[in-house]
Amino acid sequence: MWAYITRRFIQALFTLLIITVLCFILTRLSADPLAQYATNPNMSSADKEALREKLGLNQPLPVQYFKWLGLAVQGDLGNSFFSKQPVLLMISQRLPNTLKLMLTAEVITILLSLFLGIVSAVKQYSLVDNIITTFSFIGFSMPIFFIALGAILIFAVQFKALGWPYLPTGADIWDQKDPIELVKHMILPVSCLVIITTAGYARFIRTSILEVLGQDYVRTARAKGLSNRVVLYKHALRNAALPLVTIIGLDIPYLLGGALVTESVYAWPGMGRLFWEYAQRGDFPVVLGVLLIISTAVVVFTIITDVVYTFVDPRIRLS
Amino acid sequence: MKKNLYVLLSLLVLVSMVLAACGGGTEAPATEAPAGEATEAPATEAPAAEPKVATGAWSQEPDNIVPYYTQMSYAIWIVQLTLVGLAEWDDQGSFVPELAAEIPSAANGGVSADGLTITWKLKEGLKWSDGEALTSADVKFTWEQVMDPANAPLSRTGYDKIASVETPDDTTVVITFSELYPGWQTLFTQGPNNAGAILPKHVLEGKTALESDPFIHQPNVFSGPFAITEWVAGDHMILVRNDNFYGSPAILDQVNIKFVPTPETALAALQTGDVDWYPDFSESDIETVGALEPAVHLKVVPGADFEHYFFNLGTTAGVDGKGVADQDGFCPFKDIKVRKAITLGINRQAFVDSLLAGKTTVPVSQWPNSEWENKNLTPASYDPDGAAALLEEAGYVLGDDGIRHGDCNGTDTPLSFTFDTTDKQLRVDIALAVQSDLAKIGVEFKPNHSPAGTFFAGYTDGGIMPTGNYDMAGYTTGFYPDPMPGAIDSFSCNTVPSKDQPAGANNYLICDPQLDELMAAGNATADPATRKVAIDALQQYIFDNYYVVMMYARANVYGYGDRFVPGPFGFFSNMNWNAEVWDVK
Repeated sequence: MWAYITRRFIQALFTLLIITVLCFILTRLSADPLAQYATNPNMSSADKEALREKLGLNQPLPVQYFKWLGLAVQGDLGNSFFSKQPVLLMISQRLPNTLKLMLTAEVITILLSLFLGIVSAVKQYSLVDNIITTFSFIGFSMPIFFIALGAILIFAVQFKALGWPYLPTGADIWDQKDPIELVKHMILPVSCLVIITTAGYARFIRTSILEVLGQDYVRTARAKGLSNRVVLYKHALRNAALPLVTIIGLDIPYLLGGALVTESVYAWPGMGRLFWEYAQRGDFPVVLGVLLIISTAVVVFTIITDVVYTFVDPRIRLS
Repeated sequence: MKKNLYVLLSLLVLVSMVLAACGGGTEAPATEAPAGEATEAPATEAPAAEPKVATGAWSQEPDNIVPYYTQMSYAIWIVQLTLVGLAEWDDQGSFVPELAAEIPSAANGGVSADGLTITWKLKEGLKWSDGEALTSADVKFTWEQVMDPANAPLSRTGYDKIASVETPDDTTVVITFSELYPGWQTLFTQGPNNAGAILPKHVLEGKTALESDPFIHQPNVFSGPFAITEWVAGDHMILVRNDNFYGSPAILDQVNIKFVPTPETALAALQTGDVDWYPDFSESDIETVGALEPAVHLKVVPGADFEHYFFNLGTTAGVDGKGVADQDGFCPFKDIKVRKAITLGINRQAFVDSLLAGKTTVPVSQWPNSEWENKNLTPASYDPDGAAALLEEAGYVLGDDGIRHGDCNGTDTPLSFTFDTTDKQLRVDIALAVQSDLAKIGVEFKPNHSPAGTFFAGYTDGGIMPTGNYDMAGYTTGFYPDPMPGAIDSFSCNTVPSKDQPAGANNYLICDPQLDELMAAGNATADPATRKVAIDALQQYIFDNYYVVMMYARANVYGYGDRFVPGPFGFFSNMNWNAEVWDVK
C-alpha cells in the first residue's frame, strides 16, 4: 500500500510539473500582461519598456518559467503583475467564497440526484421516469448563463416589478456575516449550479442502478423472498453507489476552481472570477497559482479516492 | 461493506466541513482598512437622520488606489473620490483648481516667461482626513517618491522633466523644469488619463518600494470627498464622507461600490434598485438602457476617445535610417488614393446612426469633442461612387472574382487584406458592416478578431501590430488631457517598434518627417493659443493624407436609478470629478 502511495505521489509531481509548463505556455502565448497599457497615452514607450524589464517579461520564456517555479516550490506563488498583491493572499481571499457556493451546491446536487436517479430507475419507463428524464435533458442541455440570467430576470426583476418578495441580484452590498442574508444571496446561484449538475448525476445514478438491478445477485436476493425495499437499498443501491463515490471524490477538488459563469453573473467574488479576470490580462502568476492549487487538489484527491476505494470495495487491492 | 461505505461518506462530509471551515468568515481579511484608523480618519459623525447612501456597480475592480502605481480607469475613478490633486478638469473640460487656490498662468505670475517655472499656490488650511495639515511639503514629497529609484511607478512621464521642486512656504510650490514641458497641467493633477494626486508625506515618508506597500491597497489617509473604510476583494468597497475635504462636505454619507463583472447583472440590479448607477455601459447598450426610462435614466456623454481604423504604413527601408519597421505594410496602402477610397467607401455615419443610436459622431480628427479639435475640418461623407472612381484612377480594376486588382511595385495585387481588432461584440458588428460596404467597391476586407490581451501584445511578445504582422487594424485611443504626448508616441518616426525599440508605440508604423515636424511644433510652446495653431495644422495634415479612418467618437454611457442624483457629467472627467454633490432622493 505505502509503496503504491509513494509511487503515485512521485508520478503526481511529474504530472504537476507538466501541467504548470503547459499552463505557463498557454497563458503567456495567449495574452501579453502589458497589453492593457498598449494604448495608454500617459505611459511613454520608455515607461512600458521599464515596466517590462522590472516584471522580467523581456527575458526568454524558459527563464520566466523557472523563476516562477523556483519560488513556487518554496511556497511563494509570486505577486500579481496587475494588483501587485501576493497571489496566495488573493487566493485566500476568494477561496472561502467559492467553497461556500460550491460545497452547498454539491451537497444539494448529490442528495437530489440520488433521489431522482433512484425514483427514475425504480419506476423505469413510467410517467415519473419520463418526466425526470425530460427535465434532466433540459437541465443538461441549457447553458448556465441562460439559466442564471433568466433566474435573475424572473426572481429578481419581474418579482419586484409585480410587488412580490424578490431575490437579490447579487449586485447589492450585503452583510455577509448575517446567515439569513447569506442564504438569500445563495439561493439563485446555488439553484443554477444544482440544475445543471443534477441532470447529469441523476442520469448516471439511474443507469448505474438499472445495471445493478439486472445482476444475478439481485435476482438471487429477490428469489430468496426479500422485499423490494431491502433488495433496492441493501443490495442494489450500495453497489450502484460505488462509481458515484468515485465521481464525487474526483469532483471535490474541482469545487476549488469555482464556477466561472455563475460567479460572474451573480457577482460572487470567488476563484472562478479571479481566474478568468486575470487570465484575460495574461497575469500568469495568478493564473498559474490558481491552476497549481486546483491541479494539486485533483492529484491528491485522486490518490485518496483510489486508496479509500479499497476500503469500500473489497474486490479491489492496491499493489 | 456497509460500514466502509458509511466511513467513506463520513469522510467526504468531513472533508467538506473542513474545507468550509478553512474558508473562515465571509470577510476577506487582508484588504480591509484598519478599522480604528479608517473610522478615525474621516472624522465622520453618524447623522441622526437616516444616512444617505448610494451604491454604484463597476465592471472592474481597481488594481490599487494610489496614483502613479495604476493606469486603470477604475482605479483613477476611486482616486478622484478619495485622493485629489492640485487641479482637475470640470464638466466643461476647463482646468479648475482642487487643492490649489488658483490655476497658474502668465497673468497671475504662476507661469514664468520662459515657461520653465510653474508656481502653484495651495488653498489655506488644507487637511488630510486624519487632521494633519496638507502642505506644499506633501507636493514636493510626491515628486520625490515618483522619482525615487527605489520605487517603481508605472510612469514618470513629465515628472522626469522637473529639475527641482521648491517650497518657500506651506502653501507655495515652485516647480522648475529642465526643459519646456507644455503638458505641465497633467502633473500632480487629476484627469481621466492621469492620476496625479498628492501623497501624504507624514504617512509614507521613509518608505520605499511603494508599489508593494500595503498603503496602495489599504490607504488610511485621504484628501478627497470620501474615505475608504472597507475593501473586500472581488466584492465591494465602502467609502464614507471625509469632513476634512477642502470643499463643501459631500452630501452623501456613504458611497458603496460593488464590483459586477457583467453589464446584464448591473442592468438587472439597476431595475431592482440594488444599485443606483452603472458607469460602464457600452454604446451598444444605449437602446436597452434608454428603454428603461423613467425608472432608469440613460446618460450618454460623447468623449475624447475615438475608435479608428488604420493602415499598416510600415517600411523596412525606413526614412533616412529612421522608422524602420520589421515588415513592409500592404503595398496598395502606400497610395493615398487607395487610402482615401477606403475612407469614402465606409458608411461611418450609418454605423453611428444605427449601431450607436445616433448618440455620438464621426470625428474629424484625433481630438474629438475637445478644445484642440480643428473645427474647420469636416469628415468625408460616404461616397461609394467617388471611392470606386479613385480606385480606377489608382489602377485597380474589378476582376472576375469581384475584387479589384492592380499593379503595385510591379506585382499584380488584389485589394484583399486582413483587418485585425479585438473580439468586442460592437467591433465585430461594425467590422461586418464595413466588410459589406467595401465589398461594394470591389475591396475584400477580412476581419480577424482576437482577445484584447493578444491583440495589444507588445513587440517582445510578438504582438501583431508592433511586429507589423497586419494589413489594417482598429481600436480605441485618445490624446488628452494634454494633446501632444500621446500623439507623438503614436505617430513619431522615433517610436516605430523594432528590435532596437521594442516598446515603440507607433502601431501605424508610419514614419513621415513632415508629420514629426508638425508634432514638434505642437510641443514647442506652452502658450495654448500658439499650440492650437500648430495642432490645427497637424490635424489638417493627417486629415489630408488619410493616414487613419476615424470611425466614431467613443461615448461614455451611464445608467442610473431614479433615486440617484448625480452631478454634471464631464467628457474629460466622467461623473466622479464632483462626487461631493451626489445625492439621493
